[in-house]
Amino acid sequence: MTPTDPPAAHRPHATPPRATPLARGRAVLTSEWIKLRSLRSLWTTALTGFTASVGLSLLVCSSYRSRWHHLGAQARAHFHPTDTGLGFLQITALFFGALGALAVTTEYGTGQIHGTLMATPQRPLVLAAKTLLLFVLGSALALATVSAAFLLGQSRLTGTMPHASLTDPGAAHAVLGGALYLTLTGLLGLFLGTLVRSTAIALSTLLGLFTILPVLVDDLPKSPAWRHTVPYLPSNLGLSLWHSHIGFLVRPAPAAGTLALYVLVAAAAALTLLRTRDG
Amino acid sequence: MNPTLPAERRHSMPTRLRATARSEWVKLWSVRSAPTVLAATALVIVAGAFVLCSGYRSGWASMSASEQAAFDPTFTSLRGIELAQMLIGALGVLAVTSEHGTGLIRATLAATPQRAQLLTVKGLVLGAVVWALSTASSFAAFTAGRHLLTGPVPHASLDDPGVLRAVLGGGLYLTLIALFGTALGALTRSTPLGLTTLFGVLLVLPLTAGLLPGDLTDTILPYLPGEAGSQIWHVKPPSPHSLTPWHGLSLLTLYVAASAAAVLTLHRKRDA
Repeated sequence: MTPTDPPAAHRPHATPPRATPLARGRAVLTSEWIKLRSLRSLWTTALTGFTASVGLSLLVCSSYRSRWHHLGAQARAHFHPTDTGLGFLQITALFFGALGALAVTTEYGTGQIHGTLMATPQRPLVLAAKTLLLFVLGSALALATVSAAFLLGQSRLTGTMPHASLTDPGAAHAVLGGALYLTLTGLLGLFLGTLVRSTAIALSTLLGLFTILPVLVDDLPKSPAWRHTVPYLPSNLGLSLWHSHIGFLVRPAPAAGTLALYVLVAAAAALTLLRTRDG
Repeated sequence: MNPTLPAERRHSMPTRLRATARSEWVKLWSVRSAPTVLAATALVIVAGAFVLCSGYRSGWASMSASEQAAFDPTFTSLRGIELAQMLIGALGVLAVTSEHGTGLIRATLAATPQRAQLLTVKGLVLGAVVWALSTASSFAAFTAGRHLLTGPVPHASLDDPGVLRAVLGGGLYLTLIALFGTALGALTRSTPLGLTTLFGVLLVLPLTAGLLPGDLTDTILPYLPGEAGSQIWHVKPPSPHSLTPWHGLSLLTLYVAASAAAVLTLHRKRDA
């Protein structure tokens, strides 16, 4: 090395190397994790969802226990401990959808999204990191919520009442199916939130889709048109996954596939819009 | 009164009310989402009649005799209201919370320090707009339903007992929902919180009541705000435990009045 050479740090090629995809991916994942962890509304929603599910399960099972001797013979014969015990899923799904939506809409609400996209112009990477985190955390939370609420609920069904345990194959499938339904609903909420960028619109759409639409169309006469559309509503696909009386609905395996397909389509739409529009 | 005294005029009640009403009117229509939400409401009510009535017409033969006997053509034509109530309720919430969100509320209160009067006028303006639109939409949906329910499917006519009351009731119900949303928005002062409360009461509570054993459901469900109020746009009561149409509507009015009273009490004390 001759004394005229500039010091190594000043040479052009010595500028920090471009981040490798792996390092960038890890950095984005870390920053998304920090954001997720520091979002208070997310924790409140998760905690409220857990408490509401357990509370609802206890309430429903305890009231069946206390009314059992007043129920008619027909109502007793129709009583299915797993279906009744998991009824809370209809409401828990709303919390998971909200959880997914909030993970992204709050960033739009505060304007934080501008900083995020400036730091990581690779927008698909941002969405992928969010999806991965929500999938991992969401499935863990879903499994914990469904099993805890199920077990506590069943523990109230005592005496002569029929009750289910996790060792019954039907019950185990229903609990796993319910957890899958909640996880996929959370992802659907995430992509919906990315599409509409507003907490209010995302929450209203989720409620309309999961609570009002089924009430309106489920009881219509079962014409061919009905059979080709209504069973494929997200809430009815969810029923296929956790309810024992499927009736006209889709079988569990194709139901899981269709629900996953919805998530994929929503993801593709969210990705396209995220890439093409301004922050 | 001496008309040359400007001080007298400034304090005259009708002038102030008119000015407040005009400013609330301007604010309602300049919220960008309001015309869209109102148009969507009309669309949803009429589209609901199309979807549900054609669904019943195409599947009528597959229904059991008891299902056919329980069929309520007026209610079926009007059921788009169940979806529209979310839009209208959200509009009511946003009419207040968007002002708190942007900080416009401080200018509003500086201009009209009479807070009770301000909220009353806001409710009246919103209520009048929603009533006119949703009553017209109810009539449109009923007419659409009457044309779609053909062949063996029974249809209703406005002369039949209870039918005109139900169609007019659709407009009354949605007006009360809009006011309920306004009151909850003013109580919570936050869009997500206001919307969550409104939808929790209107949608999640009935779902929860439905999970309970049958006799408990029958005891609780009829008294929930949405279920009680919706009796006004039923011609056949959906269950033997349902309240009568006017009792149900009065109960919903009572819920709305109670939340409005809470707002007026709090609003006078809270800083904006």
